[in-house]
Amino acid sequence: MPDMAHPRPYALHTTLEGHGRAVCAVKFSPDGSLLASASADKILRVWSTTDFSLRAELSGHDEGVSDLSFSSDGRYLCSASDDRTVRIWDLAAAAAPVKTLTGHTNYVFCCSYNPHSNMIASGSFDETVRVWEVKSGKCLRVLPAHSEPVTAVDFSRDGSLIVSSSYDGLSRVWDSGNGHCIKTLIDDDSPPVSFAKFSPNGKFILAATLDSTLRLWNFSAGKFLKTYTGHVNSKFSIPATFSITNGNYVVSGSEDNCVYMWDLQTRKIAQKLEGHTDGVVAVSCHPSENMIASGALGNDKTVKIWVQKNEDQLED
Amino acid sequence: MNATIVDPLQGDFPEVIEEYLQHGNMKCIAFNRRGTLLAAGCADGSCVIWDFETRGVAKELRDKDCIAPITSVCWSKYGHYILASATDKSLTLWNVLNGKKITRITLQQTTLHACLHPGSCTPSLCLACPLSSAPILVDLNNGSSTVLPVTVSDTGNGTTAASHPRNKFSDGSPPFTPTAATFNKYGDLIYLGNSKGEILIVDSKNIRVNAVIPIPGGSVVKDIVFSRNGQYLLTNSNDRVIRVYDNLLPKKGAAKELEMMSGTDDKLFEIEKLKEIGTKCLHLSREFQDVVTKIQWKAPCFSGDGEWVIGASASKGEHKLYIWDRAGHLVKILEGPKEALIDLAWHPIRPLVVSVSVAGVVYIWAKDYTENWSAFAPDFKELEENEEYIEREDEFDLMPESEKVKELDINQDEEVDILTVEKDSAFSDSDASQDELCFLPAIPLPDVPEQQDKCLGSSLKLEDSNHTGSPFSVEAAQNGQTILPASSPFEVVGNSTPEEAAGTAGMKRKRKPSAKGMELQEEKGRKPQKKVKSTGKSSKSKNKNGDGIDTNGSVLDDDVTDEYL
Repeated sequence: MPDMAHPRPYALHTTLEGHGRAVCAVKFSPDGSLLASASADKILRVWSTTDFSLRAELSGHDEGVSDLSFSSDGRYLCSASDDRTVRIWDLAAAAAPVKTLTGHTNYVFCCSYNPHSNMIASGSFDETVRVWEVKSGKCLRVLPAHSEPVTAVDFSRDGSLIVSSSYDGLSRVWDSGNGHCIKTLIDDDSPPVSFAKFSPNGKFILAATLDSTLRLWNFSAGKFLKTYTGHVNSKFSIPATFSITNGNYVVSGSEDNCVYMWDLQTRKIAQKLEGHTDGVVAVSCHPSENMIASGALGNDKTVKIWVQKNEDQLED
Repeated sequence: MNATIVDPLQGDFPEVIEEYLQHGNMKCIAFNRRGTLLAAGCADGSCVIWDFETRGVAKELRDKDCIAPITSVCWSKYGHYILASATDKSLTLWNVLNGKKITRITLQQTTLHACLHPGSCTPSLCLACPLSSAPILVDLNNGSSTVLPVTVSDTGNGTTAASHPRNKFSDGSPPFTPTAATFNKYGDLIYLGNSKGEILIVDSKNIRVNAVIPIPGGSVVKDIVFSRNGQYLLTNSNDRVIRVYDNLLPKKGAAKELEMMSGTDDKLFEIEKLKEIGTKCLHLSREFQDVVTKIQWKAPCFSGDGEWVIGASASKGEHKLYIWDRAGHLVKILEGPKEALIDLAWHPIRPLVVSVSVAGVVYIWAKDYTENWSAFAPDFKELEENEEYIEREDEFDLMPESEKVKELDINQDEEVDILTVEKDSAFSDSDASQDELCFLPAIPLPDVPEQQDKCLGSSLKLEDSNHTGSPFSVEAAQNGQTILPASSPFEVVGNSTPEEAAGTAGMKRKRKPSAKGMELQEEKGRKPQKKVKSTGKSSKSKNKNGDGIDTNGSVLDDDVTDEYL
């Protein structure tokens, strides 16, 4: 595979199979011991990151699952599904769905725990963002967030802000305590924003738009600071993330079946990870190790694990 | 709370009741250091801890021995412990995280107000102000108590109070009317306000009175409170005046500073010397009173940043809060429901005030929110009043070239720092090595059994996707629905309505949703108790089931039917 400026390139380590349909989301747990993947086959799979064995299969959703999020202690998982519900799963106790959060009137597309894990935010095709109380399952707020499906929600590092993005071309920042809109990020042309998330320190927002561009915004100034291009993203909502374990990079999937890595500061493509046989629509970076997980669409249906190359770690 | 976002122009004090919390009969409240949890002592002896972010009950501290009404609650500095005093003369120390009682001490008298030593994270010392005698320092480990001196007699005897086993007075004088007392910020000094209208500064280690500050007017001191940063002190006296003092001693090492000032001068004219030292410790800056109605004040305290002072009217049946700024101007009078107020607290960081009424309900006062329209679209500019718009001469000219020029004045090569986190200036003395308890883990309460029928089929072992997959759960769902046609949609729908009372016994919550949320509710929602009508009228709906979902038992796939569209 093409090796760019990056000194030790990532290479394919394992391929995890088992999903019956496209993989829609992959996430590492906050302590890095587990990897969860969600699929259009309505099931979530939880894998161990040490030996990549399957630890649990969570079923209960009535339709495909689009997104998932771990609680901060890694014990609970919440998942967003086309069956209009968000479900909370307890991984420590028989992996049964503990709670079902209902209220959205259309597909729930994205979900996220807040850092204190007492609230969950979810975005839906019904154009609203809902904030739920974990303990009782009550819907605390319904934010009239957008005028098109909400594609992503994320909490800032201290939990006080929520960012939401939508196909209406806007990213909005909300106060999570009282539900008020604080800022709207909009560019001159407003291509649908397919993903948004906060930087680790909560000062910047990484937003992906369906014109194959990723932008890093300083949201309090309302201006973007960096642009990352070179990948293909015009149809699907592909998440992007920061890789901070060995230098600062931006990692994203792409519809040309590769995983792209850009250097955060120089914006150059550091590496393209090839291997999937369909568009890569899910990526996640391990919190402490140099490991990336990616999931792909229906022709591929696998989750691939990439690690920084060491002779003994390469899989043939 | 993002400090940069709070609008400095709108005064940072609350204006309206935002919400109320009800759970049992609450009598007294206290915020933890960061304002993320609110502890409330109840009339049945238990303490309720509210998660202030979600406004839900996070924990209840209950014990079979603690059944008497609580008179005060106090958090330890890093939020691990709560001290509660009750009418059965007891003090109970609780471990917050596991909800268990650590120790319980019975004193000679009921304590009106107790507080833990603020300097340490595992406090063993606490200050208790009993109903009708001098304040005592109680050691929670062995239950021993030390009476604090409340007066400096001219002969100088009262200044050296040796520690006595139980509440015996060293000079045998009759008990005093309740004396107010508080620790300073780090707990090395105790400030007492006695019935003669004097403030005494007592060293908490050697129980020596080191300074005396007489209050003008000399009337009984009912409350004495420090601001959060330790810079200001207020006293509430029987002469209906709240006085604010500037603390002239340094925040850290105040006791040492005071010791140095006392020096080793002659022992004569001791009281004069103490008063002289007192002038170097506190300086009277403001007096607040209501000259017209001359009301007595109750539960006065500072705002989190010390910029505002709030006091409640102690008049019968009134629930009125008065807010002054530090310059002395009365900025607001908040009037609550017709239930007398019994306790008050200002949030440590946010412009929020919490008041407890005699009915046992906690009211949350917050700023009245006016929608910031420019937040919704960056090029919105809000105008105060109508402005006449005069267009430019060339405004509507077609200039194709200049339109296409898009200035990219952003230097994309600048370094961006995505990792550094700024220290929170509101908590300057937080020590990263100490583990602060800000949140109690939220354990989701399992759903009611009817719903579990739908959620079968999860497994821990490696299994074929066919085996554990959806057909099974769909079947179960269908079964579930045909068995309970009317009730299961309600169960599921009821979960989501923000206005509904929570399912758990005894807990009622009213919530005022945002304005937009209300509109959404009105447009689409009806009370879930009513029969669910068929859906599918909105043209914007992307609901794949379209119209005509009949909820009376006929099942379309496994959809959870709802009433909102």
